[in-house]
Amino acid sequence: MKTLVKPLFLFLSLGFFSACSEDTPEPLVPLEAVLVEDLAAPNDVIDRVTGQVTEERPFQFFSLESNSLVSESEDWDLAFKGTTIRVNASKDVKAAIVTGIFEEINSVPSSAVFATDTESTFAIPTGSGSGWYNYNPATFTVTPIPGRVILVQTAAGNYSKIEILSYYKGNPPVAEINPMTTPSAHYTFRYVLQANGSMNF
Amino acid sequence: MFRINLNKFKLLFSLFFTLVGLAWAGDGAKKILDAQGNPIPHALIKVNGTAPIPVNDKGEIPAIPVQEGEILVFAMGFETKKLSTEEWRQADAVVLKEKTGSLQEVVVAATRTDRTVEDLPMPVTVLNSEQIQQTGGLRLSEVLREQTGLQITSDHGAGLQMQGLDSDYILILLDGEPLIGRTAGTFDLDRISVSSIERIEILRGPSSAIYGSEAMAGVINIITKPVDEQTQLDLGLRFRSFNTWNPYAEVGIGNEKWSAKILYDYFSTDGFDLTPENVGQTQNPYQAQTAQVKLGGKISEKFDLNLFLRGYSENSSGQMQTSGASPEMLAMENSRQDFNFNPTLRFRPSENLLFTLRGMSSWFSTVSDTRFQSDGSAFDFQDFNQFYHRTELQTDWQANSRNLFTLGMGHLVETVEATRYDGLNRFDAGYFFLQHQWDPHVKVNLVTGLRADFHNQYGNRLSPKISGQYKFSEKFSWQASFGAGFKAPDFRQLLLNFNNAASGYYVFGALLAEEGIQRLQDQGLVARVLIQPETLGNLTAETSLALNTGFRWKPGAKWLIQVNAYRNAIDNLIETAPIAQLVSGQNAFSYFNIRQVVTQGVETDISYQISPHLSLSLGYAFLDSYDKDALDRIDAGEVFKRDSQNRTSRVERSDYGGLFNRSRHSGNFKINYRENWTGTDWALRAIYRGRFGFADLNGNLILDDDLEYADGWVSLNLTVTKTLSSGIFLEVGATNILGTLTPQQPNNPGRVLFAGLRIPFANLIQK
Repeated sequence: MKTLVKPLFLFLSLGFFSACSEDTPEPLVPLEAVLVEDLAAPNDVIDRVTGQVTEERPFQFFSLESNSLVSESEDWDLAFKGTTIRVNASKDVKAAIVTGIFEEINSVPSSAVFATDTESTFAIPTGSGSGWYNYNPATFTVTPIPGRVILVQTAAGNYSKIEILSYYKGNPPVAEINPMTTPSAHYTFRYVLQANGSMNF
Repeated sequence: MFRINLNKFKLLFSLFFTLVGLAWAGDGAKKILDAQGNPIPHALIKVNGTAPIPVNDKGEIPAIPVQEGEILVFAMGFETKKLSTEEWRQADAVVLKEKTGSLQEVVVAATRTDRTVEDLPMPVTVLNSEQIQQTGGLRLSEVLREQTGLQITSDHGAGLQMQGLDSDYILILLDGEPLIGRTAGTFDLDRISVSSIERIEILRGPSSAIYGSEAMAGVINIITKPVDEQTQLDLGLRFRSFNTWNPYAEVGIGNEKWSAKILYDYFSTDGFDLTPENVGQTQNPYQAQTAQVKLGGKISEKFDLNLFLRGYSENSSGQMQTSGASPEMLAMENSRQDFNFNPTLRFRPSENLLFTLRGMSSWFSTVSDTRFQSDGSAFDFQDFNQFYHRTELQTDWQANSRNLFTLGMGHLVETVEATRYDGLNRFDAGYFFLQHQWDPHVKVNLVTGLRADFHNQYGNRLSPKISGQYKFSEKFSWQASFGAGFKAPDFRQLLLNFNNAASGYYVFGALLAEEGIQRLQDQGLVARVLIQPETLGNLTAETSLALNTGFRWKPGAKWLIQVNAYRNAIDNLIETAPIAQLVSGQNAFSYFNIRQVVTQGVETDISYQISPHLSLSLGYAFLDSYDKDALDRIDAGEVFKRDSQNRTSRVERSDYGGLFNRSRHSGNFKINYRENWTGTDWALRAIYRGRFGFADLNGNLILDDDLEYADGWVSLNLTVTKTLSSGIFLEVGATNILGTLTPQQPNNPGRVLFAGLRIPFANLIQK
């Protein structure tokens, strides 16, 4: 598993912080957006005719705090398999989906409704159009919905914002995806983690 | 005044059956000729308003006793000529001028009575056999694709798009009876062989007021070749690129009372492949056969009977590859069958009354068998069997010369049995319709109609329509019509019971949704019900309200300009939506009336006859379409797009390109030239399809990015035909001469060359 990490420097909200800096002596630390590329999370192998799972594949457990894949027993935040993304209910990881431009979301909006997974529900809903992706029946491709940002309160209690960029290996432009040949279930996403526990990014 | 149908029908009728009996000729006879000096065998002469007298088949009329008064000489397709008795006596021949354009073509589809285009207050186009021949087309899609405002889309077959609406909303009739058998809503026009077609009527705008469901965007009525008394044996062979062969035979026999026409058409093609780098062809090789028998005759003076039988069979084969790490080769064998039986009995108790009893039965079936090539084991098997029966009684009553009433009533039974449905499913429906054609004034005519449909599964519907025409002058007339259209939920939307095993989702027809969710709940598969079961199952018809208005203008004898503007507002469009989330993370779906869509535009046809040998025509269609929900979401700032650098931005209204697969601009330019020295007819056509959105490429599922458009393109087509004096017909030509390839339009194979020959053996022998 190769998870390449490229730091992207975001100088967002500088104006806001400098305006308030007279009252708030906190040092200005521009938050880094982390890019995770090609996190492979293949779905179970299912017999097309019978619908039986012939080979069960594991979830891929990811820690936003450590920016790495971890084992299920560790403090993972998100788990990926196929198009399904779970949150770590046992560590009370919560997620909310908001609509907006990733860079412009500089705090957790009060309207965001955080939830964790239960036996029967997902904090990040599955299915085309309801969670993070659209399934395009004309081109048979899964594409992240632009403007959908996943907010996560991690196992450590910090807030993070996540934007999923691609479901296909190598993050190809959508026009170049061939649903028959381009390997799917390879997540590319970026996220910003506010490690100081505040709700601002 | 011969505008209203029954008179005209009567005329044609009398003409048809008296033709043979009349054999006047000799001294004092006069000839009725066209501008080229050819006799007009269907001309009629009317003296002082008495009953019209037909000419014989040489265009001659014997000396007739003429008192003082005036003589009208007329023929369908020609300008009527008025002569004084003096002029009549002195003339040896009367030359009639041909009317410009095709306004004189008789149309059945618009009112279910015979009426010429000129007298119809709604937008109608008729393609006659000559125009059909000029396209060089072998299948119906190749004829319709050259017409203004029509597009052929590639979605489970060659589907028609009219007024911006898809094949699902266009009723296809064969001799006035509906054709069944749709795959994912598309009626595949390639199932119809051109060799059997005499004429095509294209009626735009909703016609649910007489046809009920499906006639929302419009109606295509295919008129097959009529029976007549001529003995006929035509053999034809057409060949073209991709090893495509189309031999056909047409046999006609008959006497004064009974006549029959038998047609057989075979079609075989190797298909083509636009993406040779991928496994599987773009169009698979297929073979198709059509056999058709038409029988017509007079039982007695007042009764006549027609029988129509048609069978169609098609087989195709191809290859596919499974996706995944170790792809496997798959072999596909698909077949389609379709059979129609339509008897029609006409009873004419008096001149003003006509009863038509029609029975119509259709069977349609498909089998799709996909196997692993390695060991022949089954990968997927689907079959689909549909039966449709309709009995209908239509009464036409000519109350007086200005009023014609039509009353129709009928019932229909439809059954479907298929892999994806439980058991045998049956629909029952009844309907009646009333139509009034009224000419209150010499310049005004109105057609009003109302139809009521009663359906055992989705309820009842009323569809009204009113159309009116005002003739400002012989040269200019204005039409407007306003009507309702609807499309009933189909079997799929009501009764589908589908489980995609591989990805684990379920789709239930609206009527099965509640039960389906209950079953999944019992199995412990449901995590969360998203839509309460009591609201399920209330699927209603998709409905539309539409306005069509335009004019027909003849600025000069050689010009014809036709314009129609329309707006279709469609409500309750049916879409799938999740009804329950499953523990697997997948969803169960059902069908709901969700979307609202608008299509609007203007269509223009201009034709100009430069000389008797050269004519030009220009067609242009403007189309604007949008999904109201998409616009609302854009206005609310909820829609975003992401570029190739992963920058996200809000979609503005100005970015929105409307519905996919619609060209904002399209048109055609046609030149018809008769070359006298060789006696050949040349038809050169440039068919333009403007750019259109083909797929979402930035994840928001709407059309909003330049990358999501396919380029506009021009197909340059040429057909050269010659009819020898023996009647042998020759054709040669090419379509898409420039060889433009359009990957986003997989029904364009590139350049196609063709040649053909038809030999009328019966003619040759008789000579």
